[in-house]
Amino acid sequence: MIMILLTTVFIVMRVLPGNPVLLRFEKTADPALVAQYTHRLGLDRPLYLQYFDYLWGLLHGDLGISMAGAFEPVGPQIISRFPATLELTFYSFIVAVAVGILTGVFGARKGGTPDDAVKIYGILIYAFPVFFLGMILQLIFGIWFRLLPVGGRLDPGVNPTYLTIGSIPLQTGIYTLDSLLSGNIPMFIDTVRHLILPAVALGLVISGVFVRMTRTNMMETLRADFVTAARARGLKERTVVYSYALRNALLPIVTIMGLQFALLISGAILTETEFNLLGLGTYLVDRINFRDYTAVQGTVVFLAVLISSVSLIVDILYAYLDPRVRL
Amino acid sequence: MKKGNSSQQSVSLMGRVLSPLLGKGSGRFLMLIGIGLTVFIAVMSATAPYLSPHDPTQIGLGPSNSPPNAQYPLGTDQYGRDLLSRTIWGGRFILLVAVVAVLICMAIGLPIGLISAYNGGNVDRAIALIMDSIYAFPSLVLAIMIISVFGVTIINEALAIAVVYIPSYFRVVRSQVLAVKEMPYVDAAKSVGAGGFSVLLKYIWPNVTSSVVVVATVNFADSILTTAGLDFIGLGLPVTLPDWGIDLTYGRQSLPVGAWWTIFFSGLMILLAALGFSLISEGYAERTNPKLR
Repeated sequence: MIMILLTTVFIVMRVLPGNPVLLRFEKTADPALVAQYTHRLGLDRPLYLQYFDYLWGLLHGDLGISMAGAFEPVGPQIISRFPATLELTFYSFIVAVAVGILTGVFGARKGGTPDDAVKIYGILIYAFPVFFLGMILQLIFGIWFRLLPVGGRLDPGVNPTYLTIGSIPLQTGIYTLDSLLSGNIPMFIDTVRHLILPAVALGLVISGVFVRMTRTNMMETLRADFVTAARARGLKERTVVYSYALRNALLPIVTIMGLQFALLISGAILTETEFNLLGLGTYLVDRINFRDYTAVQGTVVFLAVLISSVSLIVDILYAYLDPRVRL
Repeated sequence: MKKGNSSQQSVSLMGRVLSPLLGKGSGRFLMLIGIGLTVFIAVMSATAPYLSPHDPTQIGLGPSNSPPNAQYPLGTDQYGRDLLSRTIWGGRFILLVAVVAVLICMAIGLPIGLISAYNGGNVDRAIALIMDSIYAFPSLVLAIMIISVFGVTIINEALAIAVVYIPSYFRVVRSQVLAVKEMPYVDAAKSVGAGGFSVLLKYIWPNVTSSVVVVATVNFADSILTTAGLDFIGLGLPVTLPDWGIDLTYGRQSLPVGAWWTIFFSGLMILLAALGFSLISEGYAERTNPKLR
């Protein structure tokens, strides 16, 4: 999958018109200068050589140098942008799962009007554009009530700190983790304050899928014989629902988590733009405006690897949860 | 005789697609609301030139960031443009992109899914692998890439969205065909000499239609959201057009002064447009899949 995407991106970005070198300069630029830059980026070499060079670099973890700006290597740029995205998607995912599963179980258990409300919520929230929800939250909590900041990751006055063991810096770039490891409580509080609105906006939008899946699975599971048997043995309703039924209802939900991750990344691009977070999404949008092939390619490769790893983890998790899959 | 047969078949096919509208149940209710919303937005967009009180692109028509009032019922944006006119006009291009995208998706995804699954073999497996790769990749990232490469035009935006959603059709059609093609009645048709094409069209396709309706309506909702997202990050339509997504980008700049009307109505329209199609899809799925009732 990674190879297919990579090759397609490479070919499509190269074959089509639009020269990154020319985009750097005016149309009237000195041809010698243009040639020099073209040569420096290796764009004057045959396409297949560029391709194999790129693959060779990739095997060594080298994503090439950026074609716009100061020719910085792409890899470190992506690494420096990734923590913001990771932090946002992680907390959004927690919000989505918590809201989705709780409301889904609630609807399936109650039936009737509460269930209809849950169903409507699932449909409505799925149709919500994440940036619009983000704006509404910003307006209410950031501008009208002035409770929470509307953008960025930290207030300008707060300096991020991180843990250093001996002389080895343990800088993750994940501010909630860094601040806790280094014992910087004000930074932790500030980070959380900045995270609440974007994570809730993205998490709620993603929760729609979880609500629907949990609700339908739970309804089917609650009708299953083993649930009736558990009830007949006089187990508490809470035990029946949460220990017996939910565990079985969750199985199909685990399998869609991998696909949810792609949805989460798409949403993260819009959320990062809306909340001015310097993550991978805003990086991608910035770079595309410069026709920075290597940066776009690098980001796509990075995301492809990430998604493959997530689906692998999901498969392992599934095997752990469902004994029938174990060998 | 033959003619009568085929028209009877098409009637029953139409009937099959439309039957969920008849009878009772919450699914039908959802569908009717969805259809109502969709028709409302479609009619509003189609008749925008007659409905809108002002030119949606005229700068300095009213005061800057004026709240809703008698003269400008939905207020004005930071450039003094009339937001009611912009809201009425704003769906035309989003919906156009969505319609074109869905048509392209269907035109490509359905035949590939049908033929690939019916023939099976390595080609089918290879296509399925490619489609799964696209499917698992964040749709917005793909759409952004395609647009940035081909340039920002309405057709390219539709193409980008089409490419992103082709796998949804392919996957649904393929799984249905795989389930149906081993059925005894298909074997029976083959054994009395029906060719591959007529087996596909007469015996397999009718089993796929109701899933296609569900996928297409979900696809419409997703296309609307993706188009609006692309417009919002500035990689969609030209910013000079009146458009809900672009209005949100403009309105965002007026948020710090609390001008909620600059984002609220265009955002609401995107929501309603996507919601209309989601409701149709949800209701239809509920009506055709008794398990969900």
